[in-house]
Amino acid sequence: MSAVNQMTTAQNNTKAPGWTQRLVSSTDLGMMPVIAALIAIWIVFEILNPHFLTPRNLSNLSAQIVVTGTLALAETLVILLGMIDLSIGWSSVVAASVFSVGTVFFNLPVWPCVFLAIGASVVIGFLQGILVSRVGVPSFVVSLGGAMIAEGLVLAMLTQHGGSVPLSDDLSTAVGTLDVPALWSWIISLALFALFAIVSLRRHTDRRRRGAGEAHSLFFAKLAFMLVVLVIGIGLLCAYQGVPVLLVIFLAALFACAFLTKSMRFGRHLYAVGGNVEAARRSGINVRFVQLAAFTLAGALVGLGGLLDAARLGVASATVGDSDIMLNAVAAAVIGGTSLFGGRGSVYGAFFGALVIASVTNGMDLIGAPSSVRFGVEGVILLAAITIDTILRQRRMRSGRA
Amino acid sequence: MNSASSHDLLSVKGLHKKYGAVTALRDVSFTVRRGEVTALLGDNGAGKSTTIKAIAGVAPADSGSIMLEGQEVQIRRPADATGLGIQTVYQDLALCDNLGICANLFLGRERVSGPFGMLRDVDMEEEARKVLKTLRVNLPALDTPVAALSGGQRQAVAIARAVLWGKKIVIMDEPTAALGVAQTAEVLRLVRDLAEQGFGVILITHNMQNVFEVADSVVVLRLGQTVMEERKSDLTPEEVVGCITGSRTTIGGMA
Repeated sequence: MSAVNQMTTAQNNTKAPGWTQRLVSSTDLGMMPVIAALIAIWIVFEILNPHFLTPRNLSNLSAQIVVTGTLALAETLVILLGMIDLSIGWSSVVAASVFSVGTVFFNLPVWPCVFLAIGASVVIGFLQGILVSRVGVPSFVVSLGGAMIAEGLVLAMLTQHGGSVPLSDDLSTAVGTLDVPALWSWIISLALFALFAIVSLRRHTDRRRRGAGEAHSLFFAKLAFMLVVLVIGIGLLCAYQGVPVLLVIFLAALFACAFLTKSMRFGRHLYAVGGNVEAARRSGINVRFVQLAAFTLAGALVGLGGLLDAARLGVASATVGDSDIMLNAVAAAVIGGTSLFGGRGSVYGAFFGALVIASVTNGMDLIGAPSSVRFGVEGVILLAAITIDTILRQRRMRSGRA
Repeated sequence: MNSASSHDLLSVKGLHKKYGAVTALRDVSFTVRRGEVTALLGDNGAGKSTTIKAIAGVAPADSGSIMLEGQEVQIRRPADATGLGIQTVYQDLALCDNLGICANLFLGRERVSGPFGMLRDVDMEEEARKVLKTLRVNLPALDTPVAALSGGQRQAVAIARAVLWGKKIVIMDEPTAALGVAQTAEVLRLVRDLAEQGFGVILITHNMQNVFEVADSVVVLRLGQTVMEERKSDLTPEEVVGCITGSRTTIGGMA
């Protein structure tokens, strides 16, 4: 393997001008704008307040992206279909409420409550999916109704307890507060990266052997880039207290979604249905199943997001649903480059989008800016993201057709 | 009717179809032979698309029979037609712009492995490259999104998909309608190639020049009925146009 490595680095040098070009023209780098925006935001806040890029604050930030990120993952699955789910905010609070009522007032064991809570959100997603896929009701309206019903459920569960229930079980306390110690963080993350590198290297060489796939230089550049990001990220988090358990759970969900959408047949069908429903149908894809499954899966992620939020705050509260939790998730998905017209985007966009939103919120709090300014800035970023994406896509299509 | 020769691949007889109060097909009958291009012509609303939809299983006919290689077959769903080796290249091509060439070729029939249904992209690309080679079409890298292709290239992808999955019959709905001169020639060459490889090709078109360039036989529909079924060699463009418009007079001027 090292021989291969040397050979390709040699090629790397000779082909240096080629790959920057390919990097720019490649179509699966749709997240470059959001990453650039992220770097710009970080630089600005670091200049305004030198506490922004400290390990302590970044550790905070990494926990702040978790809830928005998980809900944005759910929203991304639905948006890829060309639909929208407006119920994710309240649906996530339903999960938190079920969990709190189950553990605190019925004294049920913790794990069954976890499944019950996520199950509640899954049912909400499933029922909405039925209406959308079988009957063909527009998802906008279905999920608007779903959100109202979910709000009703939350109030029914929590009003009698004063609108919020503090959690006291060990699991949510652990998830909400603990960090994975530095040593274990390094061991696990590097082992996972090595595994990933080996699998993708094998895939890459197989592809090259058959005369397909990307150039070695691009492949290794990507791997190296990922390793650098990983080392910096883990290093910063470990410089404070380690990797928050919340973040670990979110990343696990992120990678599971990435595998589902990029490597599995279901994911291919999800993109196909979002890209051209009629073509998907005529190709023999079970369009209704794909839609129903996407809404149901989104429900599971929403339930998870609700539990993570409750664990982080230590309380299941009805006021969470009233806050901008749902709009943040939609904004995160869109800022991450997922097209509201369906079929284009990536679950990784949900991660970067959530990071942008959390960075702005965190940075504004740090410099003591009022909420009015924060909303304004977030709105501008959202509009900029969607405008850039639209322009780039139009240009890409025009040049391709010429 | 005609005695079924071994050459006959598909024959439809007495297709009838109503959409509510509107009768789209009254009596459509024709035969498609192996290794030949059959042009299906008719004015707007004559029933060409409805006929195609009936054969492709998208909208089955109310009555009438479809015989494939002498056997009567039931086509109720698109999957039935696909299973019988009938593939359709729709006018809108039915491609997913956001997916790559290879993903489109294998859409709905992905090669997968393992318990999670993992896509075997490399295998699919290899297979796709073989088919594209037999069709002698040149396309960019197979993971290029279809949105980035030209009209002719998109047509080639749609045809390649039909060839990849169709074993017997390829139906093409207006394949040259949106193409320039060079691309039209390329697609017509493909149509001819398919016939020579032994497919039965049904070609729907408005372009009389195309018909006389590639077709072996000509079927004309008018108001949901077959009004002409002849060998091309016995016909002139004027006769065909006259038949399409219903005047049957051979005054010059083409549709």
